[in-house]
Amino acid sequence: MKMSKKIRPLLAVVATLALGMNALVASASTPKVQAGGTVTVDLNETLAGFNVNNVNSNEFVLQEIMQLVWPTVYFVNNKLALTLNTDLVTKVAVSSKPVETITYTINPKAVWSDGTPITADDFIYNWQSQSGNPAFTDKGGAAFQPAGTTGYSSIASVKGSNPAGGASCAAGSAADFNAGLCPNGKTVTVKFGAKTPFADWQSLFGMLVPAHQGRLVGWNTGFNINGGGDESTLLSGSWYYVSSYNASANTVVLKKNPSYWGKPGNLDSIVFAGSTDDTSGIPGIQSGTFNVFEPVSTSLAMIQQAQAAGSSVSYNVQPGLQFEHFDFNEANAYLKQLKVRQAIAYGTDRSELIALTVGQAAPSTKPLNNHIYMNTQPQYKSNGNAYNHQNIAKARHLLTSTKKFKMGKDGYFHPTYGPEKGKDFSLNISSTTGNPIRSQTEQVFQFQMKKVGIKINIVNYAAGDLFGTVIPNGRYDIAEFAWVGSPFATGNNSIYCSYTDKANCGANWVHFKNKTEDKLLTEAAAASSPAIEAKLYNQADAILWKNMVTLPLYQKPVMTAWSSAYGNILPNASSVGVTWNAQSWGLK
Amino acid sequence: MTTYILRRLAIGVGVLLLASVLVFTLVAESGNPLGPLLANPLTPQSTIRLKILALHLNDPLWQRYWIWFSHVVRGDFGVSNNGLGVGHQLEIHMFVTLRMVILSTILSIFLAISVGLISALRNGTIVDRGVSVVNFVFLSVPVFVVGLVLKTFVAVPIDQHFHRVVLATAGEQNPLAAGNFFQRLPDYASHTILPTITLVLATYASWAIYQRSTLLDVMNSDYVRLARAKGISPRRVLLRHILRNALIPVTTVIALDFAGILGGAVITETVYGWNGLGRFFLDGVNNLDVNVTLAYLMLTAVIVILFNLMADIAYGFLDPRIRYGKQ
Repeated sequence: MKMSKKIRPLLAVVATLALGMNALVASASTPKVQAGGTVTVDLNETLAGFNVNNVNSNEFVLQEIMQLVWPTVYFVNNKLALTLNTDLVTKVAVSSKPVETITYTINPKAVWSDGTPITADDFIYNWQSQSGNPAFTDKGGAAFQPAGTTGYSSIASVKGSNPAGGASCAAGSAADFNAGLCPNGKTVTVKFGAKTPFADWQSLFGMLVPAHQGRLVGWNTGFNINGGGDESTLLSGSWYYVSSYNASANTVVLKKNPSYWGKPGNLDSIVFAGSTDDTSGIPGIQSGTFNVFEPVSTSLAMIQQAQAAGSSVSYNVQPGLQFEHFDFNEANAYLKQLKVRQAIAYGTDRSELIALTVGQAAPSTKPLNNHIYMNTQPQYKSNGNAYNHQNIAKARHLLTSTKKFKMGKDGYFHPTYGPEKGKDFSLNISSTTGNPIRSQTEQVFQFQMKKVGIKINIVNYAAGDLFGTVIPNGRYDIAEFAWVGSPFATGNNSIYCSYTDKANCGANWVHFKNKTEDKLLTEAAAASSPAIEAKLYNQADAILWKNMVTLPLYQKPVMTAWSSAYGNILPNASSVGVTWNAQSWGLK
Repeated sequence: MTTYILRRLAIGVGVLLLASVLVFTLVAESGNPLGPLLANPLTPQSTIRLKILALHLNDPLWQRYWIWFSHVVRGDFGVSNNGLGVGHQLEIHMFVTLRMVILSTILSIFLAISVGLISALRNGTIVDRGVSVVNFVFLSVPVFVVGLVLKTFVAVPIDQHFHRVVLATAGEQNPLAAGNFFQRLPDYASHTILPTITLVLATYASWAIYQRSTLLDVMNSDYVRLARAKGISPRRVLLRHILRNALIPVTTVIALDFAGILGGAVITETVYGWNGLGRFFLDGVNNLDVNVTLAYLMLTAVIVILFNLMADIAYGFLDPRIRYGKQ
């Protein structure tokens, strides 16, 4: 969940199911395309295995591949709404009493590409492997290494029932941890714990790992194929299967899954290859080397390249589900004072900062006034309006009113206490090296803070150092980086719940602590409806603004470019990426 | 000669040991390999604990070095952050890079010698000056700029003209290309031409300038004048007396530059999306993957030492006056 392209497991529900379905239908109503053909998608990360749910291979590009291979219960469409995959699950029933229970009815036709029916056992296995419960182990007794346990760790049990054709329940086995759970059932009942209901239950059971195959080859490393014949390890339960993987060239070829029981994919094959750098993406499409390209970061130069390419290249720039922000380290002697944090926020002209940096590439970028929801999400509420306009006078007044800062002759405040006592009030801002937009942001911020009377020193680090040691160990004053989100809001809990709960709030690096916030976050994660969830999260966000925990800057723009010869390509700014509907792509 | 080679080998092993300590210390201290995991608030604590154990991060530095080193001498480079065997990855990426590097090195040598020779023989003429200007242009323009220019202004117009991929701008092969090696040769060529030209242009210029300079030195030497005075044919003087002697220092430079070519290949691979050693190394650095970074750096250390040795041996063959064993 940060600036790398590592994906974040889908966590919670954002929109109502009805809204999601309508949005999907609307967004999928695109021109007719020819049947068959091949599309090549630029693959800009080296693959590290194929189990996208595993911590070692939890990559954005891998999700783009495997969501076409392994079946998913709910999709996130390009409008960031959710829709049920009725090819996999024909019906979902939800009840909240006595405990939250979700009942899935698996499509009777659903089978893995080796002919094995998709059953409750697959749900049981996927829960166990991502539950974080040490009682469940991988092949050979090794601990599972999931990328995340959110939601799965809240589940008390997953059981099957109603095996196909009226057959009786299989016994299951102790070794497979499914004894007595009716693993051959076609109905799956998921029960959450009485104290751990989970509002974002639709985020669960994405890209299901085939249970029988996982137990055979091992969940942690068994899907780290080498290519050249072992591709058959990756059974398919969706539109496409992995036809070939070339580890040395970092290329993957997907072909239509002949065993797929639903509407088949339109393209004959989808190739993931190229691994080019951002500047070469547009020429790559122009030359035909590849047809779809998603740069790691969006720049003005890239947009100009796309514009110059003319009608042969289509492109789209839209706000993504990730936002840039300033973290204020409350362990700092000065930043622990609310008025100091507020002074910095009032002194920051976010509109100017955007205009001078990211706004040059995406002029529609606006200041973000919510920590949980993005501007483009229906749950978004502008809770940070007070900070829409820079107010230098108010910022200075806030500092003076503490009676712990005096304005010096050089235009900088001088603290009357702490390590900077009697000196110019100085704070460091830290971010990742090698990121021009962040560097420019820091420089503009430095200039703006000078007007307030705060000296800002820019101290940047390599990404690994910043997130590996500097921020987690609290060795910073102000940090600028991005949180990468999904449509599911519960993933934010670990960022904003009280840092004293180290087990659950490990990402609260700013040392914020607030009981009301904890209560609201907990209630939101267990909300009985999406509307209540959104209301609670917005209340929690208001507390974050009131306490100026962090200052959100803007929703980061995401660019997608593709060859105009292809139709039905609908960029998706969420963590599922542009391939969310690749089964519908085709030549115009 | 044998004693000399053995002595140099022994020194090489010593240098390699020292390099391993330095490289390990620098890489191990360059950042926390758990950084990418810690930056994700959803990474379970149990997963982080397992990683700490797997990477021996709680052990003292010397102990970690010894664990790593004792495995490396047995050919085991450990596993990367993503759990894959580093040795196997190194192998597959090395073959990708070597395909580009070997071809471009051979072409660069021919081009450098030819250009240097033309320049020296036409010393002071407009040809010499023109060639020198071109050499300096390619010497000063960064590799990635050459790559981008070739892609945008050569590959794109050609591909658009023919409505098919004649010169591929990314990747080392089309995964859909079928058949045996010869049937796939056009596809390999399509993907290899531009990166190879890029690397050749980035490499040949310094060698050509050096070649021209050494040729002019030799051409003005006494023994060449004597050979000419003796009435030896100009062709024989050029081939036997001038070129052979002028190649000695150039050979050394080329051998010593080989590691530099690998460095250039890192950039070329990035520009052209080749999944070679460069990409492998950059991924390792970006992900703070200690074992990957160490494996690449140790490989380059071995290559530098080996090519130094080869340069010395080549001296002996090219210049009969050099008798290492009797020194």
